[in-house]
Amino acid sequence: MQEVLSGLSTGFGVALLPFNIMLVLIGCFAGTLIGALPGIGPINGVAILLPIAYSLGLPAESALILLAGIYYGAEYGGRISSILLNVPGDAGAVMTTLDGNPMARRGEAGRALSLSAIASFIGGTFAVILMSLFGPSLAKIAVTFSPSDYVALMVFAFASLASLVGKNAWKTFMGALIGLMLATMGIDANTGIPRYTFDVPDLLAGIDFLVVVIGLFGMAELFYLVEQQVSGKLKALPIDNSFVRMSDLAKTKWTILRCSIIGFFIGILPGTGASVASAVAYGFEKRFAGSDAGEFGKGDIRGLAAPEAANNAAAGGAMVPMLTLGIPGSGTTAILLGALLLFNVQPGPMMFMQRPEIAWGLIASMYVGNIALLVINLPMVGIFSRMLTVPQHYLTPIIAVLAFIGVYSIVSNPFDLYLIIILGIFGWILRKLDFPLAPVILGFVLGGLLEDNLRRALSISAGDWSILFNNWKSIILYVCALAVIVIPALLNRWFKVKKPTLDVK
Amino acid sequence: MVDRVFAGILLLVTICYGYIAFTIIKAPFQYDPLGPESWPQILCILSVISLLILMWKPDVESFDTKRPTWIKLAIVTVLLFAYAELYEPLGFIIATVIFTTFMSRLLQATWLQAAVFGVTLGVLGYLICTGLLGLNLPSGPFPKL
Repeated sequence: MQEVLSGLSTGFGVALLPFNIMLVLIGCFAGTLIGALPGIGPINGVAILLPIAYSLGLPAESALILLAGIYYGAEYGGRISSILLNVPGDAGAVMTTLDGNPMARRGEAGRALSLSAIASFIGGTFAVILMSLFGPSLAKIAVTFSPSDYVALMVFAFASLASLVGKNAWKTFMGALIGLMLATMGIDANTGIPRYTFDVPDLLAGIDFLVVVIGLFGMAELFYLVEQQVSGKLKALPIDNSFVRMSDLAKTKWTILRCSIIGFFIGILPGTGASVASAVAYGFEKRFAGSDAGEFGKGDIRGLAAPEAANNAAAGGAMVPMLTLGIPGSGTTAILLGALLLFNVQPGPMMFMQRPEIAWGLIASMYVGNIALLVINLPMVGIFSRMLTVPQHYLTPIIAVLAFIGVYSIVSNPFDLYLIIILGIFGWILRKLDFPLAPVILGFVLGGLLEDNLRRALSISAGDWSILFNNWKSIILYVCALAVIVIPALLNRWFKVKKPTLDVK
Repeated sequence: MVDRVFAGILLLVTICYGYIAFTIIKAPFQYDPLGPESWPQILCILSVISLLILMWKPDVESFDTKRPTWIKLAIVTVLLFAYAELYEPLGFIIATVIFTTFMSRLLQATWLQAAVFGVTLGVLGYLICTGLLGLNLPSGPFPKL
């Protein structure tokens, strides 16, 4: 506890610097805008803006505070397009449309928006509090991990990915393998041998992380938007004067609390983020309501509060494994993890000790950010809702221009501009074929780490593979990996839980 | 069907990837039990297994994209490659004005809207990025800020 308090005071020392407060506000504001834009979710927003944030030359903790602000801000803003347009910004906001949009259609848009803002705020804040309490102790356990434990941990991460994300587990698995294979390009760090460089000098250092992120999430999104554009005009519902009532909050307070807990713990599971959390929370609340559940799907306030509390709690929960283990909990945190690596910060258990200003600064900034989001969102929701009707012919070119600026301003190499276009086409095809993209980026980020730890473990044992299974920590992790595959399958059979229908990013 | 074709192409790529891993990559000397080739070999084997399963049980029938959309996507691709090609020689401003105007027109803006938007984005974008944010963008024929 002592440690948590001293850590928080370090963190607030960083987060409350005027410059960093400004970055939190900018991040949250930009994030909400991005979230509100139909079709663009947190992961695309962070992907497109990451290189620009990187080349601004900010110190690592400030850049991370800004990017994290964009991340949970977009998670927060996603509800606006779900409620008013019935078009979710990303998979995490799909469940919000089920009850949010019917409420708006019967003239209670203001009530739906304000209630969901409060649910999001509670979910988000709850997650940050749990994160400050559990993070340091988790990091303490993780410090004692050996290379073979890390291998087991990553197997667990990929297992939970394959079982919980996407419709077809083999496609998720293949996505992760594509990422892992992309990561093997370039010079092997242990022996100095070039692999898969085909004598192209631009490939000697491997494919740049930023190029993969912008290609798969920025450019692929652009192709997707162009494709969708033909399918008719969208019309946003007007915002009225209705507002959340005290009785609404009284009715939903336990729902919000339960779903915050569900969301946080699902968010912690490596590989699974807001989309799984909101779907599970919605399903759980519906079943929990029992005979009272008739209104779910027709504009029930509980059905609106549940996924919103859960997806914001999951956004916080997903930060926990990233900060404490160096293993991202979702596609977007995989990008944040890559951002840390760009700044030469090694994410993982040592970060709380070696770079407390980053780990704690980020946590503290999330307290500030959540309050800022609530304050920004309640009165200014009208401004954000105007973003909904920004015509595609303005939005789409901006994405391309931002992506080009981002890639060029960092590497100044025209070769990478071609690479992002090719990766964009590849990402679009993957998306069309129901391959989730988050595992690709997770595989790409974790590829080097997984290979290094495997090789290190085997050099410790002089080539004896049994080292991977001969200590209790790795065995527990393998059991967890097995459990995460078996349990949802059983639950599915018992309850017929529906997975989110949109592809999980 | 598309699913199978795509998995087939990936399988070909994976086999090439595996061929390189099993024959070409070698360290002249090494101290560790696993060399630079072992990890790609493992990945290759796992990929071949999962790709064969995906080809066995495909679940996406077709792209479900209509002909006009395909044409539009092809034009966007050409525009993007042209933008990349012209980015350095013409500089950010001119390349962006051209790209944005055509792109925006393609997405059903009127010529006037598209041109105004293109010029605004090109000039304003350059001024904000290089002047305010200090980013490095190709200046083309204009003097550097």
